[in-house]
Amino acid sequence: MDIFGMSSLLLPGVFSAMTGADGILCLLLGMAGGALLLWLMGANIKHVNGDYYSYMKDMAGQVIADVFMVFYFLYFVTLSGYVLYELTTLTLSWMLPEGSFWGVGAVLLLLAVYGSVRGIEGRARVYEIIFWFLGIPLILMLLFAMPEVNSAHWTPVVASDGLQLLSGGAWTLVFQLPFSALLFLLPFCKKPEKMAACGRQALLGVTFLNAVIYLILLGAFGQNAMGVLKRPVLTLMGMVNLPGGFFTRQDVLMTAVWFFALFALLNTGIFQGGLILKELCHETKRNYSLYLVAVLAFFVGKGLFEHQFLSEIYEIYQFSIALPGMFFILLVLLLMRQVKIGAKPGKGGASDVEE
Amino acid sequence: MPMQITPDLQENIKNFEELFSDCEDIKKRKIKVGKHLKSACYVAYIEVTVSSVDWKDSAVGKLLGTLRTMPEEELAAYVRDNVFDISDSKPFETIEDAAQGMLTGDALFFLDGYNKALKIPDKGYPGRGVYETESEKVIRGSNEGFSESIKLNTALIRKRLRSPHVKVKESFAGRRTNTNVDLVYLKDLIYPEILDEIERRLGEFEIDGTLDSGIIEQLTERRKYSPFPQFQTTQRPDRAAMAILEGRIVLLSDNSPVALILPTTYNTFIQTSDDYYSRWEIASFTRILRYVASFLAMVLPGLYLAMTNFHTQLLPTDLLLSLAASRQGVPFPAMVEVFIMEIAFELLREAGVRLPGANGNTIGIVGGLIIGQAAVDANIVSPIVVIVVALTALCSFAVPNEEFATAFRILKFMFIFLCGSLGFFGFLLGMLTVLMHLSHLESFGIPYLAPFVGADINGYQDERDTFLRLPLDFLKKRPMYTRGGARVRLKFGQEEKRDGEGKA
Repeated sequence: MDIFGMSSLLLPGVFSAMTGADGILCLLLGMAGGALLLWLMGANIKHVNGDYYSYMKDMAGQVIADVFMVFYFLYFVTLSGYVLYELTTLTLSWMLPEGSFWGVGAVLLLLAVYGSVRGIEGRARVYEIIFWFLGIPLILMLLFAMPEVNSAHWTPVVASDGLQLLSGGAWTLVFQLPFSALLFLLPFCKKPEKMAACGRQALLGVTFLNAVIYLILLGAFGQNAMGVLKRPVLTLMGMVNLPGGFFTRQDVLMTAVWFFALFALLNTGIFQGGLILKELCHETKRNYSLYLVAVLAFFVGKGLFEHQFLSEIYEIYQFSIALPGMFFILLVLLLMRQVKIGAKPGKGGASDVEE
Repeated sequence: MPMQITPDLQENIKNFEELFSDCEDIKKRKIKVGKHLKSACYVAYIEVTVSSVDWKDSAVGKLLGTLRTMPEEELAAYVRDNVFDISDSKPFETIEDAAQGMLTGDALFFLDGYNKALKIPDKGYPGRGVYETESEKVIRGSNEGFSESIKLNTALIRKRLRSPHVKVKESFAGRRTNTNVDLVYLKDLIYPEILDEIERRLGEFEIDGTLDSGIIEQLTERRKYSPFPQFQTTQRPDRAAMAILEGRIVLLSDNSPVALILPTTYNTFIQTSDDYYSRWEIASFTRILRYVASFLAMVLPGLYLAMTNFHTQLLPTDLLLSLAASRQGVPFPAMVEVFIMEIAFELLREAGVRLPGANGNTIGIVGGLIIGQAAVDANIVSPIVVIVVALTALCSFAVPNEEFATAFRILKFMFIFLCGSLGFFGFLLGMLTVLMHLSHLESFGIPYLAPFVGADINGYQDERDTFLRLPLDFLKKRPMYTRGGARVRLKFGQEEKRDGEGKA
């Protein structure tokens, strides 16, 4: 749900401007990248005894581990800020035009903090419920949208150059980076060994859903029209005619799908940021870290809302720091582990025996 | 320091009467016994709890009759040796214990030369018999309801569950009321941790009086600020028996016709007894209706406000014009109008409950029809708001459990405020808050939203009894409240045969 919300909302607009019908290929490329990320995560996770921070300290030493934690912290704080910006914009555009960022953003953050303070188990339960309540209307709406689709808009295929495809794939991958939150959830898991498999299932599911949505949107709007729409999927929801016609437009009602999905990601960002800061500061009982992350996220969101150039800087940060950084850290940790095993033959842990 | 009962009857009488001085409702009689009427005994009881002390039919009367035929020197030995021949009689060693025994509604018997006091049962405190329940009506199934007597209530459960595995654990609550509290359960089905937990919680507080199970409920639930009840309540013995068969625990409190069931979930509040007595199609249909009703009871007025005040583009033009026309001349903003009507409805409901039966019905007619129509005619409220409020009320009545329905009635006002001021955004905020709250709520370790969450705990079996009540053949396993390994509740002959062959 975390991954689906942002990607389904923003990726179609990006793809249509960049690659047209080849957006599906970009999604597949992104999925391949996501699979690689999950593989690297899985390769590290199986050697984690306890939590990820301790593992990083064991592998790379205290200082490097702290640097990596700061990297993750910055990623989740900026992610929270960006999602807050998107969520508030969505609210102000589709539901409450007379509202303000201060009011809407603050209320949303308060709710996210409330959800995070209550712990991860309850958070997971909320999304288990919401998934069904929103998944069914979404599938129905997509089915009702089928008559609007003109398959001629799905051509030409493989018309984009390699660089455009790679760029589209990278965009997809950027939206999959929140998967790295799984690394920090190990202490909360009953069956940590299943985490990578769950991640893979989620990746497949999201890619499939995004592909379906993209094909419907492309078929309904065509490449050119979709290119000028910032959130084409919501525009589509406003166009779908329901049998019987009691509701003339469903866009406001269907905003709920993306509202909850984006809120899930906001909640994840705040929770992860708080968790990382808590570990960095060795905080035990209080939730000051969580509140601090919420405040930081608010100002990041506010900055993005007020100044367009900050959105561009955030984009650059995602592509040139966050994306390579996520892979780099996981690779470094794996390499360090190999080096350590090589240096101490016969002294591997229990997990080495399994290998 | 407790006062010991001695063989000296005079001393026992003095101590006892000192304890019960100025208690005119306690009848105390010194009676001569023995062949030559040279010995004495002392009988004490609360007026009306004992039918006739000296009459032949009562246990006390029969005992006195026997003692009058025996030599004086054998009386004490006779009573000591035959004390357990009298059903439910109990000897006490201190005056305080004996007094407590008498206060449960039995007669107390002291004998000269005998250093104990005997509690001898008779008709006990007056109480209602078994009557039809006022709430939780069913179309099919038993109409018996719990009464105020805990003994009667446990017997009504026993009547339905004739198994030696049904256990009744007794304790007392209330320093001054000394109220009997019974925990009824099937020993081989419950999680022992849940039983330990409720016993621990019962021992956590000391209060002067528990006059109803509601007091115990409030003192033992963990999330005190949640509008959602964390115990299920029932006045139906068959519902309680059904819960026990699911591995849940029933808590009965003396003087209360309401039993508490634990643990509980959202789903169990929506279920009714006749869901299992009726065919699965009708049970599933009404179950879905109740789920929808529970949702609409909370959000319908709010959604009306959001759509008519903020998102009019959703509605067809004709409907929108009709709504606007119906509001013409109404002086209040829509939110105030809905609020006034909801408060008026809650007032009518409260007045209807407090007034005696026939008058209560009159209030419904006066309030609903006459005042409602007059308010519309006077342009104080629009007809559409009357319809919305009436529909919301119907929805809240369709929720089978009163306490659970009340949670939605309270939350309805939060939604009116949120949707009236923030539109659909307010609705989403409200839904998120309620969902987050419910997802964190637990009843004795069981998630409140189970089996919609954590369905894997019982292999997704519990989902067969949620929105849909699948045919009974599909409900072979008990829900997740039952301890692992004891979850099979239905087997067919062929399966048993197959199982047997498999084992062989």
